[in-house]
Amino acid sequence: MKITLLLKIALKNLRTRRLRSWLTILGIVIGVFLVITLLSLSEGVKENINHQLRSLGKDIIFVMPGEESNLFASMVAGSKLEEEDVKIVERNKGVDNIVPMTYGGGVMRYKGEAKQVFLVGLPIKKSLEILKEYHGWDLKCGDWPDPFKREIIVGSQIEKDLFKNDIKVGESASINGVKVRIVGILNSLGSKRDDSAVYVDENLYWQITGTRTKEPNMLLVKVKDGYDPDKVAQKIKQDLEERTKRRRGSEKGKVMVLTSEKMGDIAENILGTIQAAIIAFASISILVGGIGIMNTMFTSVRERIREIGIMKAIGATNNTISLIFLLEAGMIGLIGGIGGTVFGISFAKIIEIYFRNHPTFHLKAYLSWKIILFGLIFSFILGCLSGYLPARSAAKLRATEALRRFE
Amino acid sequence: MNMKEVVLRLENVYKTYHSGEVETRALRGITLEIYKGSFLSIVGPSGSGKSTLLNIMGLLDFPEKGKVFIEDKDITTLDLDELAKIRGKKIGFVFQQFNLIQHLTILENVTLPMLFQNVSEIEAQKRAKELLRMVGLEEKVLRRPYQLSGGEQQRVAIARALANDPSIILADEPTGNLDSKTGKMIMEIFKHLHQDKKRTIVVVTHDSYIASYGEQKIIIQDGRIISNHQTRKEYIS
Repeated sequence: MKITLLLKIALKNLRTRRLRSWLTILGIVIGVFLVITLLSLSEGVKENINHQLRSLGKDIIFVMPGEESNLFASMVAGSKLEEEDVKIVERNKGVDNIVPMTYGGGVMRYKGEAKQVFLVGLPIKKSLEILKEYHGWDLKCGDWPDPFKREIIVGSQIEKDLFKNDIKVGESASINGVKVRIVGILNSLGSKRDDSAVYVDENLYWQITGTRTKEPNMLLVKVKDGYDPDKVAQKIKQDLEERTKRRRGSEKGKVMVLTSEKMGDIAENILGTIQAAIIAFASISILVGGIGIMNTMFTSVRERIREIGIMKAIGATNNTISLIFLLEAGMIGLIGGIGGTVFGISFAKIIEIYFRNHPTFHLKAYLSWKIILFGLIFSFILGCLSGYLPARSAAKLRATEALRRFE
Repeated sequence: MNMKEVVLRLENVYKTYHSGEVETRALRGITLEIYKGSFLSIVGPSGSGKSTLLNIMGLLDFPEKGKVFIEDKDITTLDLDELAKIRGKKIGFVFQQFNLIQHLTILENVTLPMLFQNVSEIEAQKRAKELLRMVGLEEKVLRRPYQLSGGEQQRVAIARALANDPSIILADEPTGNLDSKTGKMIMEIFKHLHQDKKRTIVVVTHDSYIASYGEQKIIIQDGRIISNHQTRKEYIS
C-alpha cells in the first residue's frame, strides 16, 4: 500500500480524535517551543559576541589579569594589571601601540538628575588611531576631549535615553562629584555596552575615582605590521610570566594574553557549553511530550482494537497496521514540531524587539535553517519512536480476538 | 456444472482453545470441501464450533492440527503477511456486526480492501461505486456507517466483501442483527450473487430458515460435522 494513502488514513484518524490529537500536539509544541526559543536567543548572543570580537581585526591582542579557563569570571572580577606589566608589553618589539583601558561604575549628575554610568578611562589622544580603525570610533558631534581639561565624551545611547533632558555638547555635568564638561557625543559603536558608556581621559579617570596607582583593567595591543599576532602574544606572555616568577610572593595572579581570534574561540566555547546545558534541560520537556504521544497512541490502539481486526480481516498486513499507527504518531510529532518552531521563533523575535530599546541589554534572535530542519525531522522521528511500541502492539493483535472484542 | 472445482478444502482440522485452566475443544476433526459456485449453510447451536470453523476457513485463525487449502494451496505453511494477502484477495467477509469502520465513509469502507491489495485509488473508487450501485446505495456513498440503517450497513459490508472479487464469501450470522424482513432482503442478495453471479458463498447461522437458502447444509455439533446433505435437487450435478 502506498505511503501517501497510509498518510491519508493516519491524518483522518487524527482528525477523528480531534481534541486528544491537539492536546498531544500541544505537549510537543511546548517542548519544541522552549528549545527553539532558547536556542535562537543563545545563538543570537553567541553571534553577537563573536561578531564584536572578530570585527576588532586579527592584529589586536588583549592583555588582562586572570586565567583563560575562567575568562568571564576574570572580566567581571575587575582585577587589574600592574604598571610594570604595561611597561613589559610596551617593550615588546612587535607592539605598535597600546591602549590601556580602565573601567568601573560611576554616578553621573546632569541637570539635577543622577544616574549610574559605566565609566571608561583611556588615553584618548594617544589611542585615537586604534580606536577609530578597530573600534569604529567617530564623533557624532562636538570634539575629542582635551586630556588636560576636565572634558568627557559620551556614548550615543547616553545622549537621549539616560537622562530626562537630552545631553548637549558644551553642557556641564559631574561624575562622582567631579565637575566635567561634555564636549562630544560618539556615533554608535554597535554594542549597547559601548554605546552607553562615558569615556574620559585616563588622567581624569584617576581623578574621578580617586585612585593613585595607574593600574588598567586591560590592555588593547596593536601588533606592528609584519609581525605574527600569535607570536607576539606568546612573547608577551613569556615576559610577563618571567616577571611573575622573579617576584615570588606577589599577590598578583596570572595574566592572560589573547589574540582577538583566540578570545573569540574561548567565548564561543563557553557560550557553547552554556547553550548545551540550556538545551539539554529544555529537551526534557520534549521527552515528556514524547511520552504523551506514546500514551495517546496506546489509548488509540485500545480503542481501535475492533477496527484493527476489521482491517486485518479485509487484508491489511501487520506492516500496514503498524505503519498507520507509526505515521499517526509521527504526524503528531511533526505538527507539534512545526507549531513549536513557529511559536518559538516568533517569541524569540518578540523578545528581540522588546530589548531593542533597552539601553544595556542587547539580544538578537538567530536561528539557522539547518537547525529548524533538524528540529522538524527530530520531532517527526520522536513521534515515530513514541509510536513504535503502540504500533507494534496493534500489529500483533490477533484478528479473531480483535473482532471478538465488544461483541 | 460438471467439473467440480474445489475452492476451499479442510482436512481433518482440530482446534482447541485454552483459557486459563479451561480447555475448549472447538473443532474435532473437520473435513470439508467447498466447490466453486456452491452455496453452503453451516448450522449449529451456539458453542458448536461453527464460528471457529468460519475463522479457520477465512484464514483468520490457524488450525491446531490438520490442513487448509485455498485453491489447492496449503495455507498452513504461509507466514502472516502472505496469509493477509491471500485473505484480502480470496476471501470476502460479511459479519453479524457489519464491522464497518465508523469514521470512514461507506465509499472508503468499500475502497479499503482494494487499497490493501495495491489497486490504484481511482480504480478502487470506480469499482467501489459500481458495487455500491449493485446493492442500491449509490446515493449514499459519502455517508458514514452510523448514518445508515442496519440493513443498509450490511449491504455495504456485502459490497466490501466483493471488492477484490474473492473466490469465496464467508458470512457469519449475516442477518443476526436485523429484523426478519431486512434479513430476508439480505439473503435475497446472497441468493442473487449465487444464482446470477455464480459466487461461492458460505453462510454460518443458527437460524434454519436462513440456512434453507443454501443448496447444501452442514450441521455441526460439538466440533464435529453430524450431517452434510444437499437441500435442493436442482443443484446436484
